Amino acid sequence: MKTRREVLQGMIVSIGGASMLTAYGGIAAVVPSDQLQDSRFYSADELALVSRLADLIIPRTDTPGALDVNVPGFLDSLMADWASADTQKTHHEYLTQITSGLSSSFVTLPDGAAIPLLEKFDTAAYSGRGEHSGYRALKGLITQAYFASEDGALQEQEWVAIPGRWDPCVEIT
Amino acid sequence: MTDFDAIVVGSGMSGGWSAKELAERGLKVLVLERGSEIVPERDFTDQVPPWKQPNLDRIAQDEVSKHYYKQYPGVSYAVKETTKHLWVKDDEHPYEEAEGTRYDWLRGYHTGGRSIMWARQSYRLGPQDFEANKLDGHGVDWPVRYEDISKWYDHVETFAGISGSRDGLSQLPDGQFQPAFDLTCAEKEFKARVETRFPGRNVIPARVAHITKATEEQKSLGRTNCQVRNRCQHGCTFKAYFSSNNATLPAAMRTDNCTVIHNAIVKSVEYDPETKRVTGVNVVDSKTNETFFYSSKIIFLNASAIATAMILMQSKSEAFPNGLANSSDQVGRNLMDHVSGANARGLISGFENKTIFGRRPGGIYIPRYANITENDKPYLRGFGFQGTAVPVGNGRGQTAGIGKDFKESHGTPGPWQVGISAFGEQLPNPNNRVTLHPSKTDKWGNPIAVFNVKFSDNEHTMLQEARKDAIAMLEAAGCTNVNAAPVDLTAPGNRIHEMGSARMGRDPATSVLNGCNQAHDIPNLFVTDGAFMTSAACQNPSLSYMAFSARAANYAADLLAAGDL
Repeated sequence: MKTRREVLQGMIVSIGGASMLTAYGGIAAVVPSDQLQDSRFYSADELALVSRLADLIIPRTDTPGALDVNVPGFLDSLMADWASADTQKTHHEYLTQITSGLSSSFVTLPDGAAIPLLEKFDTAAYSGRGEHSGYRALKGLITQAYFASEDGALQEQEWVAIPGRWDPCVEIT
Repeated sequence: MTDFDAIVVGSGMSGGWSAKELAERGLKVLVLERGSEIVPERDFTDQVPPWKQPNLDRIAQDEVSKHYYKQYPGVSYAVKETTKHLWVKDDEHPYEEAEGTRYDWLRGYHTGGRSIMWARQSYRLGPQDFEANKLDGHGVDWPVRYEDISKWYDHVETFAGISGSRDGLSQLPDGQFQPAFDLTCAEKEFKARVETRFPGRNVIPARVAHITKATEEQKSLGRTNCQVRNRCQHGCTFKAYFSSNNATLPAAMRTDNCTVIHNAIVKSVEYDPETKRVTGVNVVDSKTNETFFYSSKIIFLNASAIATAMILMQSKSEAFPNGLANSSDQVGRNLMDHVSGANARGLISGFENKTIFGRRPGGIYIPRYANITENDKPYLRGFGFQGTAVPVGNGRGQTAGIGKDFKESHGTPGPWQVGISAFGEQLPNPNNRVTLHPSKTDKWGNPIAVFNVKFSDNEHTMLQEARKDAIAMLEAAGCTNVNAAPVDLTAPGNRIHEMGSARMGRDPATSVLNGCNQAHDIPNLFVTDGAFMTSAACQNPSLSYMAFSARAANYAADLLAAGDL
């Protein structure tokens, strides 16, 4: 029988083929899943949770998804290099809150079970009742990290480095 | 025989102009910059794409706590991992605030100073601004009127490149403009509704120091049209917005009359009591701690309002025991800034099938109307609003939803939102001042600054009224979801428009400078940074610093040529 960690590692690779924890911000390069221990901030369980959430929140569509651009690795570096000890502690607590709020087995649930569960959780988080602040913070970081990636910016958001002109009123067709 | 004809202390917004004008008049000019050299090709980071910016371009939190504990909270939108080299480290450049007060001294020490990081909003003062002190008795009367400076605004606008529309407003005179960045469709609608409901108010395109139709002179300096990238806080390798680095310093250097020395901190200005002239400056090299003396026939102080006042106060002699050119005891006093903290935003409908392209440098401006077209106000003077009406972005992921729809929602523009924010005038008050600490010094042995600045009841009342006005205008424009946070005044200094600490005036007993930016006490000493401002008006002040610097430099060159110095 596989260990829980091995299950998660296999799942992450199967979901996105993403490298975990290579250089932050880089384009994904497929690396063996045994490189997961290169994590500098997240535990294996935390990394699995962040990866699963990132993939469900910003999946691969006709453009790369959050795992394709290594959002979990980016966030691991962000927390290791940018965050203060206080922020790091808070971030760990957020992940604990999310796990207990969703389900301790959330990361092993198949899409058919995970998506409805997360949708319900997400709806509650944005209901204005102040619930699940840790989830909102993580979702914000996942989203920002994705759109700060080269694929997220250029392919999904169609970010233009040099617009060269100002059009104050463009018809959407 | 002096080392130079002129010494300009500071290479920023005003110092670049002093250097350019003096050098173009044939004077041998030395520019002393206390900071390090900026090489645009190396130090501007505007070409770094988002995915090459480490950590979402955030400075590590421990590094902020250690080095940027005033700069970062003061101007967090601009102090980033890829721009932090443009801002001072607070622990290396400490200052103190009087008990119960706060002062944000936000700055960068390098070639060009804050002309690299400024917001580029460029407005003329109007006739009412030069008459305000005389009219209501706050401060002393300006020794100049709008007619005295008008042609110098023309001069600096033409060279710098200001985009704007000609709006025919007496309180915000038109200038030598390049084409404006047009209003968005929602801004046009907002303008129409506000101007109908409030006939004395106007909504115009922001006037910004961005080239939109480069002149031959601008092209000759390697400058080109704004590329609408909104990367300005990183410097501009297109040289499209005005900065000393992009415009005035290159113009000064191509005369072969200008020398720039970096890492040169001016400790004091030397004064000769026999000739009653300044003779030169004492400098310490910030890297080696070596000291130097440079002599010149005239000296321009352009170190920025606070640093200039400090240099004067540090330059004590038997003739000037309270500091150079300070027989009036006004040096360091009347320190002003602008005040914000009254904002409103709301959604405006009717533009659901429209969006914008490009990231323009400015938005809308609502020029001052209080005590100009509307005279029912419970406060003196007034404020302008800066703002925008653009589709709401969703870059931070804070909307409900997961999966494909959530992902793709970021590519579709959200509802259009109008937002406006007031910039109010601070009254001059001699008790608002910067002084030298009696014992504490920085690592070069120079006294550190102590600030004691508070906003008055007038500023508090004004901002409360500005908030009400903002809500009323948004409601008149048909906005929904109008949201205006309670008024929360910005700290003095936070608008980074510090000025007034060596004011102009008619009477040497109550002012430091005459109407030509020349020290009353010392004919060959000029101050043309924000220190000269006799009142603050409510417009962003850099364009005025430029115009007065150019005027004073040409006046000084005339005097020198005539043998009158």
